[in-house]
Amino acid sequence: MASSQKENEIIQSLADIAADPSAYASAWKQRTGGKVVGIMPMNFPGELVHAAGALPVVVQEDRATITLGRSLIYEFYCGYTRSLVDQSATGKFEGYDAFLIVDHCVALLGAIDAMRFEIPDTPIYLAQFTASMDEPWSPPQVRGRIDELRARLEELCGRKIADGDIATSIAAFNRNRGLLRRIYDLRRSGVAPITSRQMQALVKSAMVMDIDEHSARLEELVPLLEARTAEASRLPKLHLSGNFCHAPHPELLDMIESCGVVVVDDDLYTGYRYIATDVPADGDPAEALTRWYFNRNTNVPCSTRAQKSADWEGYLAKAVEKSGASGIIILIAKFCEPHMLYYPELRKELRRREIPHLVIETEHEGLPLEMLKTRVEALVEHIKRPVRSAEAV
Amino acid sequence: MSINLEQAKSGQQPLPGQTAKTPAPANRLMSTRTGSKLVRDYWDNLFTARERGATVVWYNGAAINPILQAAGVEYCHGEAFGARLAAMHLEGPAQQAGESYGYINELCSYARTTIGCALLTQKGAADNVEMDEHPDIPPKEIMASRLPAPDFFVNAYAGCSTGQQWDEISYRLFNKKLPFFKISYPLLWGNKPDAGYIRGEEWETASRYVADQIYKLIEFLEFQTGRKFDWDALRESMFYIKKAAELRLEALDLCAARPTPAVFWDWIASIAPINFLPGTPALVDYFAEMKAEIEQRLKDNVSALPNERYRLMFDGIMNWNKVGWLANKFAEHDAAVICGRYTHTSFWNEPHFIDPEDPILGMAKHYLLCPFNHSAKNLGEVMLRDCEKFGLDGIVFHATRTCRSASNGQMVVAQMAQKKGLQTMFFEGDVADESFYKDEVLQSRLEAMLETIDVQRARIA
Ligand code: SF4
Ligand code: SF4
Repeated sequence: MASSQKENEIIQSLADIAADPSAYASAWKQRTGGKVVGIMPMNFPGELVHAAGALPVVVQEDRATITLGRSLIYEFYCGYTRSLVDQSATGKFEGYDAFLIVDHCVALLGAIDAMRFEIPDTPIYLAQFTASMDEPWSPPQVRGRIDELRARLEELCGRKIADGDIATSIAAFNRNRGLLRRIYDLRRSGVAPITSRQMQALVKSAMVMDIDEHSARLEELVPLLEARTAEASRLPKLHLSGNFCHAPHPELLDMIESCGVVVVDDDLYTGYRYIATDVPADGDPAEALTRWYFNRNTNVPCSTRAQKSADWEGYLAKAVEKSGASGIIILIAKFCEPHMLYYPELRKELRRREIPHLVIETEHEGLPLEMLKTRVEALVEHIKRPVRSAEAV
Repeated sequence: MSINLEQAKSGQQPLPGQTAKTPAPANRLMSTRTGSKLVRDYWDNLFTARERGATVVWYNGAAINPILQAAGVEYCHGEAFGARLAAMHLEGPAQQAGESYGYINELCSYARTTIGCALLTQKGAADNVEMDEHPDIPPKEIMASRLPAPDFFVNAYAGCSTGQQWDEISYRLFNKKLPFFKISYPLLWGNKPDAGYIRGEEWETASRYVADQIYKLIEFLEFQTGRKFDWDALRESMFYIKKAAELRLEALDLCAARPTPAVFWDWIASIAPINFLPGTPALVDYFAEMKAEIEQRLKDNVSALPNERYRLMFDGIMNWNKVGWLANKFAEHDAAVICGRYTHTSFWNEPHFIDPEDPILGMAKHYLLCPFNHSAKNLGEVMLRDCEKFGLDGIVFHATRTCRSASNGQMVVAQMAQKKGLQTMFFEGDVADESFYKDEVLQSRLEAMLETIDVQRARIA
C-alpha cells in the first residue's frame, strides 16, 4: 500500500472516531466494562480519569440544531454550552457515567448546572480550579481540588488510585502529546502539509479515545509523515488562533484553505493548545498535575485564566515568527466572553507588529461561508501586497 | 387607596391593557432621595481625590469597601460607576471608547463601560492607547472620564469569570505597572448532599478560604499604603453596616403587607448606599429613614401602587438605563414588583453573620453570597422561599443579554417556580446597553402573564 494511502487511512479512521465519540465510548465500555467519564474543557487533567481505569472523554460540541436545550439555556450563550445542554436534554449523554469539570467560564458553569437539572441521576462534579494564577496560595488550592477529584473517581470507579497509576497515565498522555507535537513540527516545517481538517481530527480523536490506542495509531502515522519529501508550499502561510472549548467546523477550515493559503500552525483548543504542555514526569504525580495546570498557561496563555504575566499576544507573535506565518485568523466562538474581552489586547499587539489578521466569529448554527470567504480572500490579498499597511483586515 | 386582592379575584377589575384609565406611576419612596444625595456626594468627592492627594483604588465585585475605608484609601467600584453612568444615560461615550478599542457589543456591557471609562480616564490616553477614530467620543469633560486614575487595583469578583478577567484588562491598560490584588471565590455549586443555601461543609470551607484571602488583602494594603491597618476603623464601620443592613432587611420584610408600601424599584434605588457607601451613622440614618417612611405608609394605608393587583418578583441584574421606565411600566399594569434576587439576596443580606468585633469571616460569607454565585438549586431554594414569604403570583426574569452570570440558572428556576404554580415570563434586556431592550416584547409578555394570573385566580374562585 502506498504510504500516502496508509496515512490517509489512519487519519480517516481517527476522523471517524472523532466524528462520533459516543459510538467509540459505548464500544469501549462494552469491551472493557469500564466507566466513561465526560470531562469538560479546557483544563481538566484527563490523566486522573485514566488512572482510575475509566475512559476520559473531552465532551464535544454536537452538530445537531439546538432543540430541547432552548428551554434550559438562552441563545446568547456560546454554541458549545448550548450544545452541551441540548445533548443532555436529548438523551445523547446516556452513555456517560459522570461528568467532571474544573474550569470556571461563566457560560460553562451555567451550562453544566442546567445539565445537572436535566440529567439528575448522572453525577456532575465541579472541582473548580482557582483561575487566578498569580497568588502563592493558588497552587495549594488547585492541589486540593485534584485530591478531591481523585477521591471522587475512586468512589465512582470502585478502586484506589495509586501514585503509580497516575504516573503511568501521565507517561501515556505525555507520549501522546509528544507524538502530536511531532506532527505539528512536521507541518510547520512544510514536510507534512497536513490540512486543518486533518489536524483537527488527530487532536479531537486524542480527546475522546483510549490514549494508548490513539498513540499506537500515531506511532504508525508519524514515520510515514517523516518519510515525506514534499517541498514546502509557496502559498502564504497562516496561523489559526482561538476557538476555545470546541472544534471549529471543518468546512470553515476547508474554506480558509481554499483561499490560496496554507495553515501551518494554530493555538486552537482542539489543536496545539490541547497538546502543547506535558505534565512534569518527576516528583509526586498529583503535584505534577498541579504544576501542569500552571505551566500550561505560561506556555500557551489563555484568557480564561487570570495571570498578570501571561501574555497571549506575545505568544502569538512568537508563534508566527517560528512558523513563518504571514497572517493570523482569529476564530472567536460567538458569545465567548473571555475571548471577546481579550481580543483588543491581541489586536493592539498584532497591529504594533504589523501582523495582518482577521477575526471570524464562529457559530453553532451555520456560517455564512461565502461572505466569510470574501473576507479571507481580502486578508490573503493584503498579505500578498508588497507594501502593506499595519491595519488588520 | 388601591383595590384589595378580593376585588381583583372577583374579576371586577378589567384585564390588563384593557382599561381607559390614565397610566398609574409608581408611588416611589421619598426617602430614597436622601440616598441619592449621599451617593452623589460620594462620587463628587471621589472625583477630586487626585487634587486632595488621596490614594485611589479601583475595585470590582464584592463590597470590600469597609476594608479599603479602614486602610485609608479612596475607592471606586467599577461596576457601580458603570451602573451610575447607565442610570444617568451617560454610558454612551464610554461604550463607544470600548467599541473603538475593539470590543464586540456582545461582551458584558458593565465591563465595556468601565473599561471605556478607564480608556478615557487614563492620562495621556491618546499616546498610550490605540483606539479607532470614533466621531461620537466627546472630549474629556464627560462624566465617564472623571474617574481619578488608580494607584492600584483590587479584584474581588464572585460568580463571574468575566468579572475577574476584566481587571486583568484594566491592569494591562495601565501598562501592567500598577499593583493588583485578586480575591478568588468558588461558585456555591454544592457537590455534597449536605450542600444548600448557607449550609453544608463546602459553604464553611469556601468561607474560610475567602476569609484567608481577606487577611492577605489587608497585608497588601498595609504594604501599599505604608500604614498599619486600622482594625478599629473596620470594626466601627462594620458595626454601622450591620445596623444599616438589619434596618434594610426589616424594611424589606414590611413589604409582605398587602398592598405593599414599597416596591423593588425603591430597593434598587438604595443599592448604591448599601453596596459601597462608607459604614457611618449617616448610612444607618438613611435606612432608618426608609424604614420609618414605610412604617408610616402602612399606618396611613398608603401603598406603592394605587391599584395593586399582582405581586411579582424581578429576577436578574438590573437594567440600569430603564429603572424608572420599568417601574412605571409595571405600575401601569397594577403589577407590584415586591422583591428581586438582586435586591433581596445580596448586599449584607445575612447580617447575623457579621460580628463587628471580629468581622472578617462574616464579611467573607457575604462576598460569597453574591446573588450570581449560586447554583440553580440554591437559587430556586432562596427565590421560591421569597415568593412564598411575600405572597407572589409570578416571577419576571430579565434575561440579561451580556451578563451570562445573572442569566445562569434562570430557565431552571423558572421551571421550579412553574411546578409551584407560579407564573413566569422572560424579557430580554441588558445591564448597561439599552440596544438589547425590546419594549414590545416586555409589554406583550407582561400582559400575557397577568392575564394568565387572572385566569388562574378565576379558576380558583
Ligand atoms: S470559554 Fe468560551 S467557548 Fe468555552 S464555554 Fe466559555 S464562552 Fe464557551
Ligand atoms: S457578565 Fe455580569 S456578572 Fe459578569 S462581570 Fe459582567 S455584569 Fe458582572
